[in-house]
Amino acid sequence: MRSHRSQLSKAGPWVVLLAVIGSAATADDSTAVHDPAFQLAGTIDEQIAARWKLETVTPAPRSDDAEFMRRTYLNIIGRIPSVSEARDFLSDSAPDKRARLLDELLESPAYIAHFATVWRTLLVPEARGNLQARAFVPSFENWLHERLSDNASFDQITRELLTGSLQPPSVGSELDNLLPSPLAFYQAKEFKPENLASGASRLLLGVRLECAQCHDHPFAKWRREEFWQFAAFFAGVRRTDARRDNQPQPVDQNAEFLNELAIPDADQTVQASFLDGSAPDWDTGRTTREVFADWLTGADNPYFSRAAVNRIWAHFMVTGLVDPVDDFDESNPPSHPELLDELAAQFAAQGYDVKLLIRAIVLSQTYQLSSRQTDESQSDRRLFARMTVKGLTPEQLFDSLAQATGYYEGVTSRNQFFVRNDTPRARFRELFGGQSDDLAEAQRSILQALALMNGEFVTTATSLENSEALAAIIDAPFYNTSARIEALYLAALSRVPTSNELDRLVDYVDSGRAQADNRQALSDVLWALLNSSEFLLNH
Amino acid sequence: MSRRNGRTKQRLTGPWSRREWLRAVGGTTLGASMSGWMHSLADDTAEHPDRKRACILLWMTGGPSQLDTFDPKPGHENGGEFKPIDTSVPGMQISEHLPQLAAHGGEMALLRSMSTGESDHTRATHFVRTGHVPQGPIRYPTMGSLVSKELADPSAELPNFVSISPYRFLSPAAYGPGFLGPQYAPMVVGDERAAAGAAMDDYEASLRVENLELPDGVELKQAEARLGLLQELEARFRSERPDVPVRSHRTAYESAVRMMRSEAVSAFRLEEEPDELRDAYGRNRFGQGCLLARRLVERGVPFVEVSLNGQGGAGWDTHQDNFERVRQLSETLDPGWATLMQDLKSRGMLDSTLIIWAGEFGRTPKINNMTGRDHFAEGWSTVLAGGGIRGGQVVGKTSDDGMKVLERPVKVADFLATICQALGIDTDVQNMSNVGRPIRIVEPEAEPITEVLA
Repeated sequence: MRSHRSQLSKAGPWVVLLAVIGSAATADDSTAVHDPAFQLAGTIDEQIAARWKLETVTPAPRSDDAEFMRRTYLNIIGRIPSVSEARDFLSDSAPDKRARLLDELLESPAYIAHFATVWRTLLVPEARGNLQARAFVPSFENWLHERLSDNASFDQITRELLTGSLQPPSVGSELDNLLPSPLAFYQAKEFKPENLASGASRLLLGVRLECAQCHDHPFAKWRREEFWQFAAFFAGVRRTDARRDNQPQPVDQNAEFLNELAIPDADQTVQASFLDGSAPDWDTGRTTREVFADWLTGADNPYFSRAAVNRIWAHFMVTGLVDPVDDFDESNPPSHPELLDELAAQFAAQGYDVKLLIRAIVLSQTYQLSSRQTDESQSDRRLFARMTVKGLTPEQLFDSLAQATGYYEGVTSRNQFFVRNDTPRARFRELFGGQSDDLAEAQRSILQALALMNGEFVTTATSLENSEALAAIIDAPFYNTSARIEALYLAALSRVPTSNELDRLVDYVDSGRAQADNRQALSDVLWALLNSSEFLLNH
Repeated sequence: MSRRNGRTKQRLTGPWSRREWLRAVGGTTLGASMSGWMHSLADDTAEHPDRKRACILLWMTGGPSQLDTFDPKPGHENGGEFKPIDTSVPGMQISEHLPQLAAHGGEMALLRSMSTGESDHTRATHFVRTGHVPQGPIRYPTMGSLVSKELADPSAELPNFVSISPYRFLSPAAYGPGFLGPQYAPMVVGDERAAAGAAMDDYEASLRVENLELPDGVELKQAEARLGLLQELEARFRSERPDVPVRSHRTAYESAVRMMRSEAVSAFRLEEEPDELRDAYGRNRFGQGCLLARRLVERGVPFVEVSLNGQGGAGWDTHQDNFERVRQLSETLDPGWATLMQDLKSRGMLDSTLIIWAGEFGRTPKINNMTGRDHFAEGWSTVLAGGGIRGGQVVGKTSDDGMKVLERPVKVADFLATICQALGIDTDVQNMSNVGRPIRIVEPEAEPITEVLA
């Protein structure tokens, strides 16, 4: 089913020629030249650098190991590294360590859990504000979890989403609502054809149709009639009283072959047709939704692979090649059209293998640029001349805080059925959720600042009496002040302090204080680290 | 300083701690005494000719029964157990259980013909509070966020939107800033975790700002030292990364610390008010919430909402035992709201403060077999009073049995347009949504109820 990627060679450094950044050699990472991910990474770098040359852009320097490590942990498994993970990576001298870290992270269960959450957040955004939609989230995430564990390809997952059974799975127990199923996609959209069509279009094709629901789109070419022709693919999904009816409906075989829809408030019934205006072949015996899924994931569809590639790109590179990511339109061309085309073609050719694409991106030098701005020419996000700083999702924030402070959750806290929940995780989710989809525009609110400065969680984590993790660092008998500060930095920021920082902080902790006050001063250091933008952001 | 569990809590400000702080950082001293300065500030704010309008939304969670409050039907069996009483306005009658409000009839405009079509809690709450039914991916901002954004003073020490005791459980999206972003989120005081299950008279604990005070065990000196450390640590990272999230982090922390240190935070010290006044508002979360609202508006906060949730959270959702429960709720509502209006009036603030009374829908005129009333959105009531409103009138009319609107149906958009006009807000202002579509504050087809606008 899946093509096997060749293992990265670990036998000594390979010098690889890449026509980028004026320097031809990357002596640090050893790679197998015939690895498609590596080749694709090379393509990325070539195309990005070509634009830099055109625009006379000076890219930022390469990230240091700590920067790369922290960023990649967050992007792939959704949390910062532990102190020991950080120490291990930073002290590793193997030249291909970055590539190996990437592979380890991709093979870990945490990748699956994180990406199940990432895709779920994308596909069922209604769960954020809608109580009823939230109830369906666990089963949806479990379904994604299952598919990702199976290494299902992106087109397989998409097909299943679009053609899945509308019957809630049941084994006749209380746990029914946790059984894996993509039904939440439908439930959250209230089984309405118009919501399903615009959702599928925006999320899976990167095409915004919402405006056209009510009137001819002012800028793009979609007319109201076309919108409803597209919505008609979900004509068989509509149910009466869907909101109030929690009982499974009797299966109506005919419904799955319905392909006509009446436009509301208009005396018109339209038949389903694709976005490009072409008419489906209705004589194949496939259900309407299957016809839709075939078209959407088909090789002839220019949007599917591009939209998927664009989203995965944006997950790592912050800005999409098409930005905003759900607005593929003539008036909004990609920043690097050939690159997008090539990535999309390769993604499709390699069977929509998400991990391959992730590896290509993370192995690229472009991804590995520092987020430090060293030149004015780096300020245009769309040129990718430095890594853009972005916010953390509430899950990433909490998981990182928990990691940094040694907070152990009970099993039930992790329970996704977060309808009504007083756990610290749920509180963080509420306080830090509701961000705009573009994490590069992430805002910090006063309430968040107050919660981080004075709230219970951070207070406990920095309390000498109550924080075991802090106590372990502070009271470790073989540490001096320097070593303790270094441990705090590794725990919170996943790096060692600079010599300036160390000098300043040793001075803060040690000078003019009684021995007892040292401990409190160290807790101050941890407090400051946890409240810093360096900790609270992804860079 | 407040006391909790017998321990004195440290504050970053307060008469003695502030002096200590000033000494520590070498700042200037204040000339006048604390309370004297506050009082003159309050006067100044109230009478300043350029004072922008403010808004207080009194939100009745669960859908308040119109027949048992502002649209009595004495001549019909649907009218139920309550009798109507006269208000100070001839011909305008309201429930007998709102006697104090009756004296303020001349300041109130009753809208009896709300006709909004949504009778599900989640959808209706969202509809009335944001102007839109929940729809796909667009995250509509709540009224308070939209309004406070327009009326905000960016240099203010207090947040521009405060929500007191909201019960958000049924419709969380209807209480947030949506696509306007977290900087327009309300500061929530006494949220449902505090509200649910707590006794109605346990108001002291719940009407605080969470996390505004230093945590137990952290002394002032340590707090200042930590903040100084944080500043230093931030400097290098910040200088090399001019991104939005970094800047926003800085602004939020600066504002939070400013708020912690500000005198304006004294708004939350209800103990500064005379006992008789606190009694008049009612010693319960809603009554004291109204008092807090007045103090916040006095200090320049442009939008405050106070929710009346009753015991169960959605207290007005009286499917059972309607009359007993509405009577009890009215006994909380009446003194709270009436005292609020009287208090604002005596401080010269009523003319510049719009008060809105609303829930997500009304209740069925026909009484069900549990002596209750169910959801009803075809003809229900809201009230507008105060700034920008010509009071002493009734808009719209329902049939004698309460089942239909006979005159002047008012849609949600019309209602919101009226509110905006009363506040002097341009409804054509557009905000960029999270799907890239600009969205007006109120849709252009809305017709404000010009009769009630002053």
